[in-house]
Amino acid sequence: MHVLAYLDPGSGSMVLQMLLGGIASAAVAVKMFGKQIWSTIAFWKKDDDAPGAKPAAAVDTEKDPA
Amino acid sequence: MLIGEDAVYRVLSERGLADWRALADSQLFAAQTAAGALVGTEQLPAGEGPVGDGASALVTEAAAVLRHERIPLVSYPYEWTFGMLRDAALLELELLLGALDEQLILKDASSYNVQFRGSKPVFVDVGSFERLREGEPWAGYRQFCMLFLFPLLLQAHRDVPFQPWLRGSIDGITPTEAAAVLSSTRDLFRRGVMTHVRLHARLERRYEARKGDEVKQELRKARFSSKLIKGNALRLQGLLGKLQWKAGETAWTDYRQTCTYSDADADAKQAFIRQALETNPKLVWDMGANDGAYSRIAAERADYVLAFDLDHATVDALYRSLKEEGNEKILPLVFNLADPSPGLGWRGQERRPLEDRAKPDLVLGLALIHHVCITANVPVREFVDYLRDLDANLVIEFVKREDPMVELLMSGKAEGTHPDYEISNFERVLEERFSVERRQELPSTTRVLYEARPR
Repeated sequence: MHVLAYLDPGSGSMVLQMLLGGIASAAVAVKMFGKQIWSTIAFWKKDDDAPGAKPAAAVDTEKDPA
Repeated sequence: MLIGEDAVYRVLSERGLADWRALADSQLFAAQTAAGALVGTEQLPAGEGPVGDGASALVTEAAAVLRHERIPLVSYPYEWTFGMLRDAALLELELLLGALDEQLILKDASSYNVQFRGSKPVFVDVGSFERLREGEPWAGYRQFCMLFLFPLLLQAHRDVPFQPWLRGSIDGITPTEAAAVLSSTRDLFRRGVMTHVRLHARLERRYEARKGDEVKQELRKARFSSKLIKGNALRLQGLLGKLQWKAGETAWTDYRQTCTYSDADADAKQAFIRQALETNPKLVWDMGANDGAYSRIAAERADYVLAFDLDHATVDALYRSLKEEGNEKILPLVFNLADPSPGLGWRGQERRPLEDRAKPDLVLGLALIHHVCITANVPVREFVDYLRDLDANLVIEFVKREDPMVELLMSGKAEGTHPDYEISNFERVLEERFSVERRQELPSTTRVLYEARPR
C-alpha cells in the first residue's frame, strides 16, 4: 500500500530556513520584513500582543472563498 | 512500488527517470551504495519488468523500472530507540549534504525512508533524490523536524517517549506541539530549541494562510540560496551529533559492566538454545530480548534475528553495543507484545503489523511468560494460542509460581489471581497446540525450558 508523498514544505518553515542562515541572511531578512522584523520573530510574545504589527508580506491573506 | 519475492521494484515516470539518472551518475550514489548506506538499486533493461499480480498494468506506462534489494525486516520509527532515530537522522543529513554538493537534493525527509539492516541504517527511497532548483528552500525541513528532530529533543530533554507519539501521528510532532512541551525558560537555552522549535512554531502561526508559492517567490527575490540549506544541515548535524538521552546513557554504562554475567541457569539455557538452533532457522524472533545475550547465540546459526523488548533504555543499550561491533544480523526494536504495532495510515495498510512483515522460523520466549500472563494479564491459553498462530518452532521458558520474580509480580495482586498460571496447566495447553520435543528443568528448579513444534 503506497500513498503518494507530495510534501507541503510549510510557509513558516520556509521563512525560518532563511532566518537560520546567520549573518548571510540577516540583510535578506531585513529586506523581506522591513520594520516588522522584530514582531515577526518575537516568539516569546503572543501573536495577538501586537495588533497591526504583522509584516507587510503577511497582510491580505484572506482565504479565497471559492 | 511492487514488492517481489526477493526484490522491490519501483516504477518511474519521465520526470522520475531524469532525477534517477542524475543520481545514478553522481559520486554520492556510488560511494554511499558501496558503503551500504543506500539501498542496492539497479535499473532494469528496457522491456524488462517485475513479475507478479498487477505488475504489467503499471509497467506499461512507466519510463523505467528500478530494482532494489530487499531489507530483511521492515521496521518503523515508532519501534526504534533514541540512538536508532538519531543515527537515521544523521544519515538523512549526510545524504542531503552529499546531494547538495552534486546539484541534487532530497525532496522530503521522512524517517520512514530509512530502514535498518541489523544495527546499520540504510536509506531506501532513492525516489527522494531530485535535481536541485537553486533559490528554493529545502522542502523536507519541516518534515525533518516533525519526524526526527522534535521526537529526539522531547526524549532527550523531557524524557517524553517518542514511540507512542509517532505511532499515534504518522506525520510526527508539529512545531506547535513541540513548543508546548519545550516551553520553559530553561528549554530556551537548550541548543536548537529557540530556533527550530519556538521560532518555528511562531512563524508557522504567522504564515498559516500564506500560499507556499508566494513565499517561495519572495525568498527567491531575497536571494535565498542552497548555501543556506547546507549551513542549516551542518548545524542540525552538530546539534544531533551531541544530543544525548540520559536513561539511554545510564543503561549503556550498566550494559558494559554487567553483560558478561553467567550462572548455572544461564549456562544450561545457552546449551538448550544452541541445540534448538541446529535447524539453521532463517529468521528468529527473540521476544523480551533484554540485553540480547540469547539473540547473539541465535545469530550464530540464524540468517537474521529480531531482538525486541518493551524497555526502551535496555534496547538502546543493545543497539549501541551492536553498532559498536558493526553487527548487521540482529535488529533491536522497542516492541510490547501486549500493545503491538498496529496497521496504520491509509486503510491501515501503509504501516503493517509485525506479523505481516516477516514470519519467524523460530521463536524464543525466555523469561517472558510471567510478564505477559501476570503483568499484562493475558491468560496462559491465549498466549499459547498466539504463539501457535506464528506457526514457528518455539523455545519457551516457564517460570514457576514459586520463582522470586513471579512472587514479586504477584505481590501487588489479590490472593488467588491468575489461577491458570500453573505449570501443569501450561504444559497441558502447550501440548494441545505444539508437540513438545524436549523439556529441561534449570538448576534453580523454578524454571523449565521446552522446545516445541507447532501441531
